[in-house]
Amino acid sequence: MDTRKDKFPHGIPGHNLSEIEREIPIEEPPAWPVNDKLKVIGKRVTRIDALDKVTGKAKFTSDMKLPGMLYAKMLRSKVPHANITSIDISKAKSLAGVHAIHLIENVQKEGEENKGGKYPQVKYAGQPLGGVAAESLEIAKDAIKLIEVNYQNKPFIIDMEKAMEIGAPIVFDVPIAQQEDGGDVGEVHDGSKGKGNVRGPSTSSFFGGPRGDLAKGFEEADLVVEKTYRTQVHTHMPLETHGVVVDWRADVMTVYASTQNTANVRNEMANVFNLPKSKVRVVCEYMGGGFGAKHSAGSFGPMAATLAKKSGRPVWLMLDRQEEHISEGNRPSSIQYLKIGAKKDGSLTGIQQRSHGTAGVGLGAGVGRIAQVLYPCPNFATEQYDVLTNAGPGAAWRAPGNVQGAFGLEQAIDELAEKLNKDPLKYRDLIDKSEVRKVERQRGAALFDWSRRQPAGSGKGTVKKGLGVGQSTWPRFVTLDSSVEVKIHKGGGVEIRSSVQDIGTGTKTVLAQVVAEEMGLEVKDIKVNIGDTFFPVGPGSGGSVVTGSITPPTRNATYEAKKELLKLVAKKWEKDSSELFIKDGQVGHKTDANLKMSFKEATKLMRTSQISKTASRSDDYGGFQQPWGLAFGDLGSVQFAEVSVNTDTGFIKVDKIVAAHSCGRPLNIGQLESQIHGGVIQGVSYALYENRVMDNGTGHMMNANVDQYKVPFSMEIPEIETVIVEEYSARSSTDAYGIGEPANIATAAAIANAVYNAIGVRIHEIPITPSSILKALNKVS
Amino acid sequence: MEDKKQESGSQPKKAITRRSFLRGAGLSTAGSVLLTTNAFAIDYNEYPVAGEEFGPDAITIKMKVNGITKSLSVEPRTTLASALRDHLELTGTKVVCDRGSCSACTVYLDGEPVNSCMLSVFDVGEKEVTTIEGIAKDGELHPVQQAFIEHDASQCGYCTPGMVMSCVHLVDNNTNPNLEDVKKATRGNLCRCGTHPHVFKATLDASKKTI
Amino acid sequence: MNKFSWYEAKSVEDALQQVNSTVSKELYQATNKAAVFKSGGIDVFDWVKEGLLQPKKVINIRNIPGLDKINFDSKKGLRIGSNVTLAELASNPEIKTNYLALHQAVNHAATPQLRNVSTLGGNIAQRNRCWYFRSAEHECLRKGGYLCYAHHPENGENENHAIIDNGSCVSVHASSISTALMAHNATVVIADSEGKKKEVSMDDFFVSTSKDVSKENILEAKELITEIVLPAPTKNTKSAYIKQVERESYDWSLGDVAVVVEVSGNNTCRSASIVLGAAAPVPYRSMEAQQAIEDKTINAANAAVAAKAAMAIAQPLAKNSYKVPLFEATIKQAILEIS
Repeated sequence: MDTRKDKFPHGIPGHNLSEIEREIPIEEPPAWPVNDKLKVIGKRVTRIDALDKVTGKAKFTSDMKLPGMLYAKMLRSKVPHANITSIDISKAKSLAGVHAIHLIENVQKEGEENKGGKYPQVKYAGQPLGGVAAESLEIAKDAIKLIEVNYQNKPFIIDMEKAMEIGAPIVFDVPIAQQEDGGDVGEVHDGSKGKGNVRGPSTSSFFGGPRGDLAKGFEEADLVVEKTYRTQVHTHMPLETHGVVVDWRADVMTVYASTQNTANVRNEMANVFNLPKSKVRVVCEYMGGGFGAKHSAGSFGPMAATLAKKSGRPVWLMLDRQEEHISEGNRPSSIQYLKIGAKKDGSLTGIQQRSHGTAGVGLGAGVGRIAQVLYPCPNFATEQYDVLTNAGPGAAWRAPGNVQGAFGLEQAIDELAEKLNKDPLKYRDLIDKSEVRKVERQRGAALFDWSRRQPAGSGKGTVKKGLGVGQSTWPRFVTLDSSVEVKIHKGGGVEIRSSVQDIGTGTKTVLAQVVAEEMGLEVKDIKVNIGDTFFPVGPGSGGSVVTGSITPPTRNATYEAKKELLKLVAKKWEKDSSELFIKDGQVGHKTDANLKMSFKEATKLMRTSQISKTASRSDDYGGFQQPWGLAFGDLGSVQFAEVSVNTDTGFIKVDKIVAAHSCGRPLNIGQLESQIHGGVIQGVSYALYENRVMDNGTGHMMNANVDQYKVPFSMEIPEIETVIVEEYSARSSTDAYGIGEPANIATAAAIANAVYNAIGVRIHEIPITPSSILKALNKVS
Repeated sequence: MEDKKQESGSQPKKAITRRSFLRGAGLSTAGSVLLTTNAFAIDYNEYPVAGEEFGPDAITIKMKVNGITKSLSVEPRTTLASALRDHLELTGTKVVCDRGSCSACTVYLDGEPVNSCMLSVFDVGEKEVTTIEGIAKDGELHPVQQAFIEHDASQCGYCTPGMVMSCVHLVDNNTNPNLEDVKKATRGNLCRCGTHPHVFKATLDASKKTI
Repeated sequence: MNKFSWYEAKSVEDALQQVNSTVSKELYQATNKAAVFKSGGIDVFDWVKEGLLQPKKVINIRNIPGLDKINFDSKKGLRIGSNVTLAELASNPEIKTNYLALHQAVNHAATPQLRNVSTLGGNIAQRNRCWYFRSAEHECLRKGGYLCYAHHPENGENENHAIIDNGSCVSVHASSISTALMAHNATVVIADSEGKKKEVSMDDFFVSTSKDVSKENILEAKELITEIVLPAPTKNTKSAYIKQVERESYDWSLGDVAVVVEVSGNNTCRSASIVLGAAAPVPYRSMEAQQAIEDKTINAANAAVAAKAAMAIAQPLAKNSYKVPLFEATIKQAILEIS
């Protein structure tokens, strides 16, 4: 491979910015300088689709209406654990306006006895059993009510701790596989390890397995903190529910999907219906939130397609709010035991972690890798168990595992700091080796005025204030299977195409910014066509991979297209194309200022209607960490929380959060702020409000609505200030990364630490409610 | 989950369609595609009046939406949200909770914000409905919409129409709102992406520009 | 929602001719031929959307002329038509001046969108809040079943439920406005199909679960609330209302307290009306707290004694014992706001 050497900005402006030389493939574009010297990158560029959103013109999947379209509704189990003995659809079939009914049945291999029965076994209340397509949604709902399902009920188990007991009803008596869009993205086990409902453990991640000698580590320790922390199950509740509109024609199946992964939905649908990928088109122009749960076609995708095939009409199938809560994912619960040892000087000697969590009928209930990597410690081991219960399956939820893990770890570190008689922030200065978090602690503490912090519980009066801090890390994941096409049209117009979708993070806008910056144009000159699998395949919006994966090929394809255009101009001017540039929509020459041509004029020199360049994500400059193939560096954050707690009524409010974050080279400040706000608010929600309430006696979710599944509304929103630390590491042509997951990890821990600071009693379980505050203060008899 | 691989079940018998049920076998398949429940509506075509009973089947009624009087064929159980979205294709109004708990379906009824998911279309009568599509006048954005764009007050955008409706109503009725007023005006608007801080900022900014 | 016909009522008499059932009766034992009232419709449509109520006919009483007035007379008191919306109540200056507890209760209720539609009559007549009661999968006591799921000693998810009068159904009343109305000694004017009107106190309007688990109020099928009447305050009448919630934006009450007292010059309580919301299946008048504070100076010590007295009869369930200290703090605070 031909390479060249180039100098890149490296480090943190205002702290340790320098230059680094990297040997890179010869076709890579030249290094971009720091953001200060760029025109549209790192600026507050308004969202290119904001106009559609504020005027109601943005068409989401749920807004689709195709000619002749039918509306579908799914049939779901009303019991948590059963065999189905019969399903009678005769009444539903004869209802006027019903066009197709489909029941999910076990696949029977030829010559084999169908041991499982005709229908799948029911493993949770709300499990999909079938579907109806009708002329209106109301008719489809009426038809569902007319279907009679007979169940042979079996004992079931909802409570996780009871599910762990010997003799508990068994959810699955076979190994089960992790869902594609499951929870933790660390090492997955196949569910065959373990006994009864307790599966696992998972003991390693892509950062490796256990290290050192724990026994020796704790022997060396002068102080030990040993605590158990608990987190609840919470559901994603995106505003737009999961769903699709399927238009299945002879030549192609078009699936309009509310998804954060068009390519994966295409692959799943092609796989289920045994179609070539070229004959399945998944389109997602706008989607109303996913937060990790919308990577898959689920059961609703194949159901809609089957109903479309049976009826010969397009079918709309969007879930309702209750279905969304029950069956389309949740962040698993956790009970985490943590033991941390330290010497008198504060240095860590051992971290032991053991967790149990339930993702219902799914796997992936680990607590992430944060305890493994946030603070270097020579001796470490983790055991993370899944507990199966008869409840809806978990799914990835913004920083899977790590949010739970941070809640435990970051409180334990505070408890350790207190034992060492050290300020929690200063203690982190001592044990945290990350340069970017050091800067975040400094800048964040200054903005937050950390020096106001008083000893725990020392406030006077009924309403007590408290301050706390929490930290996080998230790996820099990169999806190399990330491609784009950039086109320059003759007569003007630049277009970028990819299957990557914008889930509200602003991907469309940052792509336009990257193309505009490289092409010397304005953002408004760039047409972004994404969210369509007929275009080059882009990454799924998960793991904060999108920006780091898709912006480098975007820049590279633009650079290639630009080079080709400049060659045409160079030929006309009889100059070398390497001496030409485009700036402010004008082609110019480095030394001859008289040579000028508008971008539009330049495109008229094209022999063909378009210049089209496709690029895929290159390897990171300097390669990847081995053997895991993970990018070097991390995304660090430090969040500060201020709370007030009424010690008479238990009412608790988060007054302020300062969130200091890094994401490599920031691309769009306004959108980054927005995403950080979102992560923080979801963290506030996790810490104080949300909780899936299941009735252990009947197996039903009791608050599967908006009104009693509590999340913050306007009055619960704290004042949020963000600190975005630019950090250059010279790993790709944009050096940019995402912020989605990091924004959500540290908040609950910071709030819990602040609550302790306010009332002087530590609460080890979320959500922290008036009830838990009053109990902690011994006011409940 | 085990469900995914179990989609290919037996083919149920061909369902009886509304077409064959009501009209016998006279229509072609192509014809049936064009039929909606509207085709069977009783032609009434007025505003619902007192002392009369309507439905349960669909009838054609009038409704004023964004300054235009429309005729639509609806059942009494049709919600205003469904009438707007499914019958008039005004899909800016979103249905999120379907129980009046999230305000994503906010429209104005004679200028006052209401949850369109919790009203029957028969509740509207001669009142005028304003939807998100009717906020920009003659192609000119309301200052709140403009400020939402400038302050990045939308993320996924699904709550945005409802948020805009709440904030426009505030700014149009309170010349000098403070942060508390904005919070009170949007206290019923669910947002899961966390746009609130930018919504607050945008609305306060817009209110200054409308004085 | 199931298919139903719509009747647009012309008058109270017309509406009463059409109606044949109540939401309570239908939920307790469905007839599938019910013609029920709806005003703002928020609660009625909630039940229909859940599929628990399947009316044949919905009688819209929202547009009946004459039920949408607020009249205040400093001698006769306040008369509120049953179709007055919560938004109209919230912004009424005379209510703010003369009935502060009601003003505060209304201003803590629901969202702007809901207040523009919800009517006072509908608000006080709405059904109780309990996730089992409102779940299609739980055939509970209040729906004609044999079991109060929330009461189950191990499995009952009863954190939001009643701590007083909770021997049978343990749900709590959803109208925090009723807490204030009862404290203000309001009465409810009810019309029947024979053209007669009766006026009952809020205390008599609500029905304890120990009397009848199928309903929260005395309304029969052929009856309609036309007005809510509040007695005129004296110059010594003072009132306060406090609602505890997890979320201030809008939320169901964890516990709310309305206090209306007659105070004499030396800050002594001459008579007290103290009502607790979300404590019992219907708004609960705490005679215990009233007696404890009457003829006493209003101060922190006496307020605390009254709060303790109110909670002495509480019998919390497995998951709601926090409500006892919460109510104690709130009762005390509400009494002190008077002084």
